[in-house]
Amino acid sequence: MVPVQWYLLLAAVLFGVGLVGVLIKRNALIVMMCIELMLNAANLTFLAFARQQGNIGGHAIAFFVIAVAAAEAAVGLAIVIAIYRTTGSVNVDDVRELREEG
Amino acid sequence: MPLTPLQTYFPIGLVLLVGSGLALVLLLLANVLGPRRPNAAKMSPFECGSVPVGSARDRFGVKFYVVALLFIVFDIEAVFLFPWAVLSTELGWAGYVEMLIFVATLVVGLAYVWKKGVLDWAE
Amino acid sequence: MTNLLSLVDVNLASAASFRPELALTFGTMAMFILDLFWKNHPARPARLATGALLVLGVAAALLVSQPTAPGSLFNGMIATDGFATFFKWLFLLAAGLTVLISAPGKDFPPARLGEFYALLMAMVLGLFLMASATDLLMVYLSIELVSLVSYVLAGFKKGDRRAAEASLKYVIYGGVASGVMLFGMSYLFGLLGTTSIGQLAGRIQHLQASGLPAAATKLTLVVAMVLITAGVGYKIAAVPWHMWCPDVYEGAPTPFTAFLSVGPKAAGFAVALRLFYGALSGPSAVTAGFGEAVGGLPWPAIIGVMSVATMTLGNLTALAQTNLKRLLAYSSIAHAGYLLMGLSAASDRGVQAIMIYLLIYVVMNLGSFLVVILVAEATGSESILDYRGLAKRHPLAATAFAVFLFSLTGIPPFAGFVGKWYLFVAVLDRVPGPGGNWYAVLAIIGALNSAVSLYYYVRVVRAMFIDQPYAEPRQAPATPLMYQLLLSASAVAVLVFGLWWTPMIDWTSASLQIFKG
Repeated sequence: MVPVQWYLLLAAVLFGVGLVGVLIKRNALIVMMCIELMLNAANLTFLAFARQQGNIGGHAIAFFVIAVAAAEAAVGLAIVIAIYRTTGSVNVDDVRELREEG
Repeated sequence: MPLTPLQTYFPIGLVLLVGSGLALVLLLLANVLGPRRPNAAKMSPFECGSVPVGSARDRFGVKFYVVALLFIVFDIEAVFLFPWAVLSTELGWAGYVEMLIFVATLVVGLAYVWKKGVLDWAE
Repeated sequence: MTNLLSLVDVNLASAASFRPELALTFGTMAMFILDLFWKNHPARPARLATGALLVLGVAAALLVSQPTAPGSLFNGMIATDGFATFFKWLFLLAAGLTVLISAPGKDFPPARLGEFYALLMAMVLGLFLMASATDLLMVYLSIELVSLVSYVLAGFKKGDRRAAEASLKYVIYGGVASGVMLFGMSYLFGLLGTTSIGQLAGRIQHLQASGLPAAATKLTLVVAMVLITAGVGYKIAAVPWHMWCPDVYEGAPTPFTAFLSVGPKAAGFAVALRLFYGALSGPSAVTAGFGEAVGGLPWPAIIGVMSVATMTLGNLTALAQTNLKRLLAYSSIAHAGYLLMGLSAASDRGVQAIMIYLLIYVVMNLGSFLVVILVAEATGSESILDYRGLAKRHPLAATAFAVFLFSLTGIPPFAGFVGKWYLFVAVLDRVPGPGGNWYAVLAIIGALNSAVSLYYYVRVVRAMFIDQPYAEPRQAPATPLMYQLLLSASAVAVLVFGLWWTPMIDWTSASLQIFKG
């Protein structure tokens, strides 16, 4: 069996990729994908620990997270469509109407 | 001798290897031996025999996108049906009714979406 | 399989103490169905508002009648206790006021009002669950329920650039915060083998007693808790997770901004109190000092630092604001900072102070936003320049706003003073104890911040009462009777409870009952 550390390492790397992606990517769609990556990294960690400890709770959590992630993707993408319709771009740098004056 | 978990995957690996190898060899043979006489009809994209219309890299109407979004949500909700389905007999009528309520909630959502006209394809 | 059946039985039995939430669930569905009727009827807003108030009323009636004994529901997922009930009343109050504010206003066109009310009911359900969640999974799910609805409502104005932008910023910040929180939860689950909040303290002790390397486990524990704090901090708009707040407040429809500034903030504090004070301090009262570990973590110190950063940044940035919605956004960040002082005090008194403050905050903040709506409807602007001469144009709004602003500053005899007084007393209570000097520093910074906040609140009051109007006043539209009633009622409540606060104290001390599983 693959030791649990490898799963945790993979999850941590996925989480890092997601977090860095959110910070540096300018395309709103890719930012959404990076957020999904972070959620799935957490899911993988839950599952790895659940498997290691024989604790079914982790599996149950993963189910819920999958559903929530889908709902979040649906809402997020709908908002990206709204942004595209109003500004004609999905670049987050073009979205800067609301900010401090001066 | 008992097989280690990895060794039990050996037959699958063999099938993969033989399958991809065979495909590769056949493609290579067709490429080397087959005659090539291209003409306009042969080079056009194949669309069920009809004459192709427009580019394949076209934009799709955003309403399909909304349908896809709805699909994701309703599709993923089915994930909650699986754990219940596995134990449906043990959970009895109470579990069945709980699941019915869950599905009824989704039906209300579907009815709302329908009535709001999101599912109307033609305008 | 008797084991499984007993789990089902627990669920069925739990439903008895879950009736307000069930009413909200079915109420949400009912509102969605109602939305499909009376398409072009002139009385549509009134009827929909009545429907929404009916749902809230049924939930309130069921809340009154439900058993008061604290207990655990749905196999430890949520708890019913006085603490949760207090917050549930807070949410019902805020939601009811929001329904009344939004019905006559122009922010929501009648065609889409039903949608707003349906989503608002769903959000109230999420807030109810946040206040009673005793499992990390439930914390996550309820926060997500509130967040997902908030993203949609922040961008409610169709075809409006600012609304779409607010909602995009909100969804990105929110998505990252919830992802970070979930990742922290996954580590906590791996480390402690449980997601039940009530078991955390015991498992942490167990972990420390086990032979595992102390430094490594402690580091993982701290990292996990910091990640979880990010999710909660984002909901209450605490520094450094506050960046979404001003933009979302400005871009969202104002009645929803008003609700957003009180509902999720209160719910976020409910989660934080249950998680830090309720669970990590364990069954015994806290006696450790400021920097010492409570439940394996020095969280009072971490929260204290967060509190200082939050109130200072909120107040200093508010000084430069000229848009009233942004000003109130930074003011709400600053208030999150004051409230965190109560959590940092880690005592029953601190918890009670937070509850009192939130109760007052709901009324004074909703009232302030109502004035913003009123002025925006008359002038089409949220700039402070358009508040000049408001005292002459609309004496009731100006007077009420002055009352709310002084109350937000925390000046006697307004109710805000009572809340702040209790917060400071809770902090000063800890000064003679271990690490007391740090609590003294916290209190001093809090007092300095209140002084700073006076400056920008008074700036608005001066504009309303002293400054000459910026432009010739146009013929203002007649103020709906509902607004006049709500304004007067809120202002009177702020004044009355500033002088006669015993009922609030009695209610909160009776509600100071956190179920610990």
